[in-house]
Amino acid sequence: MRKTTGKIVVFLTPALIFFLTVFLYPIIRTATMSFFYVENITSGMKDWSFVGLSNYVKLANTSLFRTSMWNLLRIWAIGGLLVLGLGLMFAMILNTGVRMKKFYRAVIYLPNIISAVALATMWLQFVYSTRFGLLTNLFKTMGIDSLAAVEWTGPGNKFWALLFAYCFGMVGYHMLIFSSGIEKIPAEYYEASSIDGANILGQFRHITWPLLKGVLKTNITMWSISSVGFFIWSQLFSTVTSDVDTISPMVYLYNQVFSAGNAITQRDAGLGAAVGMTLGILVVLVFVAVNLFIRDDELEF
Amino acid sequence: MTEKQLKYRSFRSINWRAERRLLPGYIILSLWMLFTFVLVGWVVGASLSTTKEIFTGKALHFGSGLHFENYVKAWTGQNVSVFFFNSLFYSICSILLLILVCAPAAYVLSRFKFAANRIIQSGFVAAMGVPVVMIILPLFSQVSQMNLLKADGTIRALMIYLYVGFNVPYTTIFLLSFFANLSRSYEEAAAIDGCPPMRTFWQIMLPLAQPGIITVTIFNFINIWNEYFMSLIFANSNNTRPVAVGLYSMINSMKYTGDWAGMFAAVIIVFLPTFLLYLFLSEKIIAGVTGGGIKG
Repeated sequence: MRKTTGKIVVFLTPALIFFLTVFLYPIIRTATMSFFYVENITSGMKDWSFVGLSNYVKLANTSLFRTSMWNLLRIWAIGGLLVLGLGLMFAMILNTGVRMKKFYRAVIYLPNIISAVALATMWLQFVYSTRFGLLTNLFKTMGIDSLAAVEWTGPGNKFWALLFAYCFGMVGYHMLIFSSGIEKIPAEYYEASSIDGANILGQFRHITWPLLKGVLKTNITMWSISSVGFFIWSQLFSTVTSDVDTISPMVYLYNQVFSAGNAITQRDAGLGAAVGMTLGILVVLVFVAVNLFIRDDELEF
Repeated sequence: MTEKQLKYRSFRSINWRAERRLLPGYIILSLWMLFTFVLVGWVVGASLSTTKEIFTGKALHFGSGLHFENYVKAWTGQNVSVFFFNSLFYSICSILLLILVCAPAAYVLSRFKFAANRIIQSGFVAAMGVPVVMIILPLFSQVSQMNLLKADGTIRALMIYLYVGFNVPYTTIFLLSFFANLSRSYEEAAAIDGCPPMRTFWQIMLPLAQPGIITVTIFNFINIWNEYFMSLIFANSNNTRPVAVGLYSMINSMKYTGDWAGMFAAVIIVFLPTFLLYLFLSEKIIAGVTGGGIKG
């Protein structure tokens, strides 16, 4: 018995040390810090001054942060519909018995393995370029001059250009999660319902959708986690540090704590911690809501 | 009938009516695929072209031949070689360490009942959903208090530590299911033969979990290679920067140098390692996405 205990300790300790130092301790400290005024991020706890909830209140009254949250909401909601919709569509098409399924699947997932910096650069400098870009040239050859003249990353369009490019890269991942759910649904269900005269839409409504609730929950949770970390795309799409069009909360935090951005003069790490906490709490809220509202009836099949 | 003959027969008897029913699906898939190929293909083409040709819309005409010197220039002139080897170093050290750290933990968590087992597992699963913003500030203040950001050597060690730490929960949970599926009879047989538990694990159990280890390792490599935010904060000096951050600073300087062909070459250099892995191992990588911790 003592031998087993020793083995458990030896085998688990390294992983636990990493877990405690990289996750548990920093999370607790971030939570604490969000209630303090911390002028310099490197200052020790004795230099912190307790301010209660005022960091959160201050954030709620900062228009730049509010803009960033509004952007995040739009990315999460609109992008989420787009990505999960397309992901589900591809997963369903791939399950209908198309040839070269694995090949198509691999191509759709491909953007996910490309470094976000590289992928965003491809979109920015090629697809959206007004000088030699794909869209401009495409509309020129089609003779639609009004669309060919559009400045895709100009003011007003930039956010949507960013959102669309980001979504393109994310579809593959969520398709795979949907696929893993769809592949578990026995083909007999579809065969039986076909014999009974159900069409594709009916099959989707009464078979696919109800049985996909579990993976839908996973998908919404994973999408929320990646939305909250939205950073590099907005950095690449905005030329100045505090571009209001594409700013995300994480960019706001980065400017607030790590670099003196153009619009932000005062550095405040406590405020940054409050941003981190807000985002973390949002993920938890989404997770709870998803589990509350999407009832997975634990069907056996 | 052999499998080959079966395949041949099934080819002969393509059900054209069924295929026609699938036509809309084929069209959608092909359009998406076409766009992906154009996107990547054009950038590859532009990286072998010249800036002048790119700007006159003749990037893919190759009127002046293929310009491999773009790659040479980006590799040597733009510091890309340094970024590249930094990334390679971080990724390889981290993926090896991750297996050394996570495989034993996953094994113990899958095999033994003890009080903290469920708590640790839940903690790891929860950690998989923790956004970087929740942990980055204390980490930064801690390492700057410890003066770790002054020398290249400590920054490198720190980056590996952070990459390992950040990926411990996912890797452990992923491997856990692999160990859980291995039969206990292996350990029992080894114990009867007098093999000490440590050796049993490293020499018998670990090799048996190899498929899982390979999948999760490739997956970790891609994640670490592409990681951006933590390296931006911690490894932001010319000597320690990995490719993702290096590429970003390069793109910014490109506004002044105006070497677009070179920039596209750098994009391809950053993209190539993960792409090559994907080319040969896409099935394993795709299995890594849906396997392990993510359950329906």
